[in-house]
Amino acid sequence: MTALLNVQNLSVRFPIKRRWGQTSWLYAVDDVSFEVQRGETLAIVGESGSGKTTAALGVARLVANSGGTVGLGGSDFLALEGEALRKARAKVQVIFQDPYSSLNPRLRAEAIVREPMDSLGTLPVAERPARVAELFKQVGLRPEQMKLFPHQFSGGQRQRIGIARALATNPELIICDEAVSALDVAVQAQILNLLRRLQRELGLTYLFISHDLGVVQHMSDHIAVMYMGKIVEHADRLSLFNDPRHPYTKALLSAVPSVDQKRKVERMLIPGDPPDPLNPPAGCRFASRCPLVEDACRAAQPPLDAVAADHKVACIKA
Amino acid sequence: MTEPLLKIENLRIELALRSGQAPVIDDLSLELNAGETLSFVGESGCGKSMTALAIMGLLPEKVGSIAQGRILFQGNDMAQMNSSQLRAIRGNEISMIFQEPMTSLNPVYTVGEQIAEVLRRHKGMNKRDAWKRAIELLDAVRIPNAKARISDYPHQMSGGQRQRVMIAIALACSPKILIADEPTTALDVTVQAQIFDLLRDLGRETGTAIILITHDMGAVAEMADRMVVMYAGRKAEYGPVAPVISHPRHPYTKGLISCVPHLLAELTEERPDLTEVPGIVPSLDSFGVDACLFASRCYLADDKCRSKRPPEIVFGDQSSACWKADQI
Ligand SMILES: Nc1ncnc2c1ncn2[C@@H]1O[C@H](COP(=O)(O)OP(=O)(O)OP(=O)(O)O)[C@@H](O)[C@H]1O
Ligand SMILES: Nc1ncnc2c1ncn2[C@@H]1O[C@H](COP(=O)(O)OP(=O)(O)OP(=O)(O)O)[C@@H](O)[C@H]1O
Ligand code: SF4
Ligand SMILES: [Mg+2]
Ligand SMILES: [Mg+2]
Repeated sequence: MTALLNVQNLSVRFPIKRRWGQTSWLYAVDDVSFEVQRGETLAIVGESGSGKTTAALGVARLVANSGGTVGLGGSDFLALEGEALRKARAKVQVIFQDPYSSLNPRLRAEAIVREPMDSLGTLPVAERPARVAELFKQVGLRPEQMKLFPHQFSGGQRQRIGIARALATNPELIICDEAVSALDVAVQAQILNLLRRLQRELGLTYLFISHDLGVVQHMSDHIAVMYMGKIVEHADRLSLFNDPRHPYTKALLSAVPSVDQKRKVERMLIPGDPPDPLNPPAGCRFASRCPLVEDACRAAQPPLDAVAADHKVACIKA
Repeated sequence: MTEPLLKIENLRIELALRSGQAPVIDDLSLELNAGETLSFVGESGCGKSMTALAIMGLLPEKVGSIAQGRILFQGNDMAQMNSSQLRAIRGNEISMIFQEPMTSLNPVYTVGEQIAEVLRRHKGMNKRDAWKRAIELLDAVRIPNAKARISDYPHQMSGGQRQRVMIAIALACSPKILIADEPTTALDVTVQAQIFDLLRDLGRETGTAIILITHDMGAVAEMADRMVVMYAGRKAEYGPVAPVISHPRHPYTKGLISCVPHLLAELTEERPDLTEVPGIVPSLDSFGVDACLFASRCYLADDKCRSKRPPEIVFGDQSSACWKADQI
């Protein structure tokens, strides 16, 4: 297998204005590396503010990075310019959380779906209407709905439009940032099934961000767990869910209520809140809330080391 | 059997629409006993919040009204009470926490001032006692270092802490019923777990009955004793949580449970597609019709379902409003 996406040492920082004109840097993503194989799904999980969206935006060049490389199908995506960049951009598309605000309310559905083809020029103009019709069919919308405006669709249908738009340029990598979080469970199931069917049919690669661990378990092949801008655990699906090693991952999984009666995990409560991201601790970033913490944890940042095949953990006690 | 704390009988709430009156709640009956947790589940727009607002006497003015039925709180019909009687119950005996803690807290007052204000208004406490009690309450909802944090403004707290402040305010008058409308939807799972543990302990310690509104079946399974599944303003299914989840008697309940990818105890390579419930909740205009409102989405529907509203069919202490309940 070849990696479609190869991210090495990616960092993204934001300037935060302080009093007296000083600026501090918030490292939203701090030296993160991962690969995603073609046709697979890597899920990114972690609590709010841990840097999931920023990491994805960094990969897609939708936010400026402050270090690192993003290999996309062998080319150095962050170094591309001009025509080469335009071509590569067509290969990476994003589906956002909010199907309401991410669609232009003044455009008809067909124009919304067509827009990426127009701006990236991926198809001769004459072929675009047929492609739009094909995309509508692919995501389960009816042809007569092409003429409607976003407000005339339900939430689930709007998300289908978002998916059709993301597919318009024949992308290889699709970033789904909380793509089903705003939907009711029944509609969510339809969209998740659709995403998996499209992946099988088109060989798509997904970077799948979600806070719903049930959804992640269903959708992912690999999972990266983020905490304060760092990946603390990275594993294949079975290893992560059946044998979590990082105390944060364990706490996260134990917090999820489930209808599965057999799933009786001892709840591991983590006290307090994450530390101020502008003043991250010197050692392990989880140390202030970790039940296993010892002095060595606070001294140096634990590296993301392999503990088994396809399973890396950044914890000296793992 | 002792009298339930809250008893809703054949409640019908109508909303004024441009097209006429629509029953946003249609013939709803349920009971809540002291000390228990009852969950309302269902998709968006099914009437969960509307039921909660009716119990609080907070239906949107001029738009919503109780057209029929009774809401008996300790035997007294709230549907017949005037606004000052309702106000005496609201906040004192029945209180509510909402989904978005930031919008329900006032940003210009410290959290201590806001808790103390409730105590002074409802309990007639003096300033000093109210402040002391506010610290105890913050402590009770497990805000570390309550003495210092009480002078924080809402924006200085995390989302989970703000929600805990809301719970402290809701608990200020030791209510008999606490209504929690999606109290953790905006929060991380680890924080959600803390809030759920807190609610459960408080219920146990104080005997407060809890109505938990949620769309998360996992949360229902973990938190509630009994549940009401609502669909399009009607009660689809009702009963103790364990039997309803292990053997739902309504196709809608069954769909709600099986369309969600739940975390599994033993994960395997296998990953079948999720069950799909096609379609969406009908719009308010069609809530009143004499038919099963789920029929357009139901895999069992026949002509009878489409032409006659199903009655409530009882199975022990479980019940289902479905013509085919015995086939499920
Ligand atoms: N444009 C920005 N300017 C300054 N800080 C930002 C900006 N975008 C994000 N951040 C900060 O970067 C950190 C990571 O944010 P990010 O949105 O990536 O988190 P996330 O994991 O996606 O969270 P959520 O689950 O809430 O979506 C947070 O501390 C956030 O406040
Ligand atoms: N103030 C209002 N005026 C008119 N219609 C309203 C009003 N509030 C709610 N509704 C309508 O009443 C119906 C029931 O709403 P309700 O808020 O009870 O749903 P819910 O089950 O709580 O949904 P959600 O899960 O989205 O919170 C919906 O169709 C809604 O659009
Ligand atoms: S009454 Fe008929 S349509 Fe309604 S849920 Fe039962 S089987 Fe389905
Ligand atoms: Mg995000
Ligand atoms: Mg609601």
